[in-house]
Formats: sequence, C-alpha cells, structure tokens
Amino acid sequence: MGTKVKTAVKVGSLELANPVLAASGTFGYGREFAKYLDLNRLGGVVTKGLSLEPRDGNPPPRIVETAAGMLNAIGLANVGAEVFLEEKLPFLAALDCKVVVNLYAEGIDQFAGLAERLRGAEGIDALEINVSCPNVKGGGVAFGVDPISVAAVTRAVRENSDLPVWVKLTPNVTDPVPIALAAQKAGAEALSLINTIMGMAIDARRRTPRLANVMGGLSGPAIKPVGLRMVHLVSRAVDIPVVGLGGIMTGEDAAEYLLAGATAVQVGTASFGDPSSCQRVADELAQFCAQEGVADVNELVGALKT
Amino acid sequence: MRKYAKVVSQEPVGAGVFLLRLEAPAVAAATSPGTFVMLRVSGGPEPLLARPFSVHGAEGDHLLILYQVVGRGTEMLSRVEPGRELACWGPLGNGFNLDCQRPLLVAGGMGVAPLWFAARAMAERGAEVSVLFGLAGAGGYSELLAVLQDQAEAGKISLSFTTEDGSLGEKGLVTHLMPQALERADRVLACGPPAMLKAVASLAAEAEVACQVSLEAPMACGVGACLGCVVPAVPGGGYLRVCQEGPVLGAARVDWERL
Ligand SMILES: Cc1cc2nc3c(=O)[nH]c(=O)nc-3n(C[C@H](O)[C@H](O)[C@H](O)COP(=O)(O)OP(=O)(O)OC[C@H]3O[C@@H](n4cnc5c(N)ncnc54)[C@H](O)[C@@H]3O)c2cc1C
Ligand SMILES: Cc1cc2nc3c(=O)[nH]c(=O)nc-3n(C[C@H](O)[C@H](O)[C@H](O)COP(=O)(O)O)c2cc1C
Ligand code: FES
Repeated sequence: MGTKVKTAVKVGSLELANPVLAASGTFGYGREFAKYLDLNRLGGVVTKGLSLEPRDGNPPPRIVETAAGMLNAIGLANVGAEVFLEEKLPFLAALDCKVVVNLYAEGIDQFAGLAERLRGAEGIDALEINVSCPNVKGGGVAFGVDPISVAAVTRAVRENSDLPVWVKLTPNVTDPVPIALAAQKAGAEALSLINTIMGMAIDARRRTPRLANVMGGLSGPAIKPVGLRMVHLVSRAVDIPVVGLGGIMTGEDAAEYLLAGATAVQVGTASFGDPSSCQRVADELAQFCAQEGVADVNELVGALKT
Repeated sequence: MRKYAKVVSQEPVGAGVFLLRLEAPAVAAATSPGTFVMLRVSGGPEPLLARPFSVHGAEGDHLLILYQVVGRGTEMLSRVEPGRELACWGPLGNGFNLDCQRPLLVAGGMGVAPLWFAARAMAERGAEVSVLFGLAGAGGYSELLAVLQDQAEAGKISLSFTTEDGSLGEKGLVTHLMPQALERADRVLACGPPAMLKAVASLAAEAEVACQVSLEAPMACGVGACLGCVVPAVPGGGYLRVCQEGPVLGAARVDWERL
C-alpha cells in the first residue's frame, strides 16, 4: 500500500484509532485473544455483558452452529462487577485501544446501581447498554422493544455515570427507529446495532430443541443483510453516530456497514472461526480504502448511493 | 498473527477414521497429552466454526490428530490434501496429570486419541501403563488397532480390548474390565462418551483411585471467551468451561447427574 489511509473515527466524544471494535460476548475480556492479535491495533474492545452480581448463565447446550451462523443462549454468564474491576479491567486499562463496557441488568434500578458501581473506575472509556435483556419488572419483556423503557434505562445509566453511554439495540422489533430516537433523546451518545436475532434450531430425529434454552440469538454472516438494513434505517433517522455490527467477517463487510451509515463497526462471531479476525478486518478495511482511492475512512460513512 | 498448520499427510486408518499429520512447530513444541487444538476446515462461512481436536501425538515439528468423520466438518477435513494450510490454534486447555506410577487409561471409541498420547508419554517416563480400549466392534478398525498394538508392544504398554459385539477382546463394555484393573492402579485417566465417563468416574471413586476425565462440548472459540462449552460443576461450582478449565477435569469436579 503506497498511500496511508486515515483510519481514525469519532464515535460521539470517543476517538478511535480505527473503526473496528471487538463485539461484546465474543471477545471475553480481551486477554483471551492477546496471543492471536495485537490488541493495540484495534479501535476498541467491548467486554462481555456485565451485571452487578456474577451470573452462572444457562444450562448447556448453549451454542449450536447453523447455516452461515450460530445460535447462542449463554444466559449472560459473567464474573460480576467486583471481579471485573479487580481482575479484568486492569489488563484492559493498560491497552492503547478504547474499552467499552457492555452492561446488563434486569431493572432500571439495577442498571443505575451497576453504572454507579463502575463510576470512576480507571480504564473504562464508554458504557454500552444491552437492552436486549428481559425487564423483570416489566413482565419479562425485553427492555429493547419498548421506547419508554429504553429511554428510562438510558437516563438511569447517564445519571449515574460520567462516561459516554452507547445503547445497543435489538433487531427483534418491527421498527427500530422509534426506539433509536428514544435512546437519542434520553442522552445516548451512540447506538450500536444489531444484537442477535432470536431463533431456534431443532433436532428432527430426537424431536428436541438443540439449545437447552430452546431459543437463542442468531449471529454470523447469516444476519449481515438484516444488520445493514437496520443501520441504514436508523442512521438516517438519528443525529448521533451508529456503530454497526452483525455478520462482519471481512474488511469489505465493514465497508458495507460504513456505507450504510455506521461510523464504526464491531466484529463478533468472526472471532470464533479466526481469533485474529478483529485485526484482520481493520487491516482489510484500510486495504479496501487504499484500493478504492479512499484517503480517509470517514469518506465511506453514509456514502451509499441510492 | 494468524495461526496456521500445514497438512503433511492424511491416512485412513479405519472406517471413517483418519490420522492427520500437521506441520505446526510451535503447537507441537508446547503441547502435552490432553490438550487440544482448534482446526478450521473451511476458509468461508460454511462451516463457520472451527472444530476442536485433541492432540494424538507430537513428533518434532509435527502434530498428530486422530479423528473420525461424524459430520460435515470432519467430512470436509478428510478430503483435505497435503500441502494445504488450515487455520489452527493451540495447544489449548489443561492436559492430563501424568505424574503417577501405575496409571489405568480407559478409552471409549475416539477417546483413544488423547489417551494414547498420554500412554506413550507415561510409558516413556517408566510408568506401568495399562490401557483398556472399548469399541462397539473391531470391524473396520484393523489398521488403527494394528498400529496401536505395535506401539503398545514397543512401548511396554499393556493394552486390552472390549467390544460390544465380541469381535475383539472381551465382549461387553469397557467398564467391565475396570474393577480388576483398578486394584493395581494409582490413577485413572479416561476419555470417551459421557455415559462411559460417568461409569468410569463412579467405579474409580468407589475404589478411591484419583480419576481425570477428558470431556467434550460444542465449542465456538476454544479460548475461554464465548462461554458456550460449559459442563455443570458440582453444586456451588456453577459451570466449567471445557476449553479452559478442561478438557481434562478431575472427575470429582463434574456434576455427573446434570451432565
Ligand atoms: C476438546 C475436544 C477434543 C476432541 N478431540 C477429538 C479427537 O481427537 N478426535 C475426534 O474424532 N473427535 C474429537 N472431538 C470431537 C470433534 O470435535 C467433533 O467430532 C467435531 O467437532 C464434529 O464436527 P462435524 O462438523 O464433523 O460434525 P457436525 O455434527 O456436523 O458438527 C456440528 C457442530 O457440532 C459440534 N460437535 C459435533 N460433535 C461434537 C463433539 N463430539 N464434541 C464437541 N462438539 C461437537 C461441531 O464442532 C460443530 O460445531 C473433540 C471434541 C472436543 C470438545
Ligand atoms: C456467544 C455470544 C455471546 C454474546 N454476548 C453478548 C453480550 O453479553 N452482550 C451483548 O450486548 N451482546 C452479546 N452478543 C451479541 C454480539 O455482540 C453481536 O451483537 C452479535 O453477535 C452480532 O454480531 P456478529 O454477527 O458479528 O456476531 C453475543 C453474541 C454471541 C455470539
Ligand atoms: S469454546 Fe468458547 S469458552 Fe469454551
């Protein structure tokens, strides 16, 4: 590559060295992948969904491979805030790349408490709220399908934190735009989309579901068209940056998300089939730009010709 | 830092069973019996995930994998030609504790793959190694069995067979041979189907002999990140990641009732 492509992007107030972050739940706490790529070459790492208390998660089997994708029903197993702060965060804090902590709770008060618990912790650059979880007080329906709940959660986290707040939207809705607007109005600095699409796999011979939880979230290349559409719809409706994800395997996939309107992207399931995926996607995106005569990746953002 | 292994050779050693030889110097140097590697057989989205395989042996720069074709990934692997590079990362997980004098190794089917690596390593260190190898039937496995018998003889490993159809060794399940063999054993290492492992663990516990099992679970990452590969731990222990806390686990850590 002769020309040096400018790769830095700004997601709200956060400056990333390049637009590629590792997606929540697919990259552990970063350290798991340290042998397979240079973490300092990523735009950022989004950590596994964190709850105040540790969670064991769902019984196995928790994952099953499907056509060009996989279903997971991990059940948000995680180490809890205390272990995260003591044992996981120091490693991440020492990295050059940005650290985004994905939050999970079952009620507005719990979200507020979690944000409060993380307040002042060194090394966290932003919070990403996972609203795809069931709202226990709201009768178990996911927060993410209801604009009023999404706004309330966003506000609760904002009021208990000094960090930029990103809201990660679920694709399991008829129209993501009203929810995106509600999150924006409540003070979200950015929106990440999409989370996994609810799905199911069945063993016809045994007549049983393949996941113990019966249903799970679909991810991987199979969902890229859905992600692209939602990023396209949402980025046109809101004034805040969108972080696009869903099925990104290559730099060209990332470029497609930028064209659809995303300012940055996250790489999830691709890290499983190739643990160096995040860095590879970042490198391939820069190569794509060089080949296409794009001097600055920001030129791609929303540049879709329709 | 993408990790590759180059296919050196691949021989059929039984019905749908292959011995794969990979050039993977760093993995071969770092592996120990019971650890595993992730192997990606396709370059594209089908199949999307890598497959976990125990290391069957390490010879210089070479890594040996013994595997059986059971689905599309292993079928694709069986057609891979020498010279091809496969994404491969490892060694992963915790291996067997080889520090004992009279180990009893209990293998069911392809469970022999990691155990044979352990058997040879322990015999080389001077342990008196006994291997009980259970199969549904010996039909179709003659090459593999001949190789194992030769290596057992050369390595002073005692090798006994059971088959469910009586075609080789004693007729019945491999656990039938255990009570007697346990009398001399100072540790049991086992790998095979879950029902077999449960029976082995229970016999070893009754005889008060320490027991380690190598477990399998569907895996996505192999490196401890996705939390997809868990098995239930004894009450209070939550779940254990097969790729991280395992694949070799002390039998007493596993909740066999919920497995
Ligand atoms: C730690 C470990 C070590 C292993 N070592 C060996 C070995 O040395 N030799 C050998 O022949 N096999 C071994 N296996 C099993 C091997 O990984 C599976 O047979 C293989 O993944 C099947 O892939 P497939 O595409 O052919 O089958 P499919 O049934 O088409 O696979 C579909 C999905 O299920 C998963 N899967 C299917 N069977 C198993 C299984 N038994 N365990 C875990 N995941 C499974 C696959 O990885 C894949 O994601 C090991 C498994 C584990 C977890
Ligand atoms: C095993 C697994 C665990 C996940 N855990 C989380 C999580 O804890 N929090 C979250 O917001 N998203 C989680 N996700 C969703 C991903 O971050 C991502 O939104 C989704 O997988 C789509 O991207 P992909 O196709 O690139 O994987 C998880 C996905 C997978 C596959
Ligand atoms: S396979 Fe991902 S955590 Fe074990």
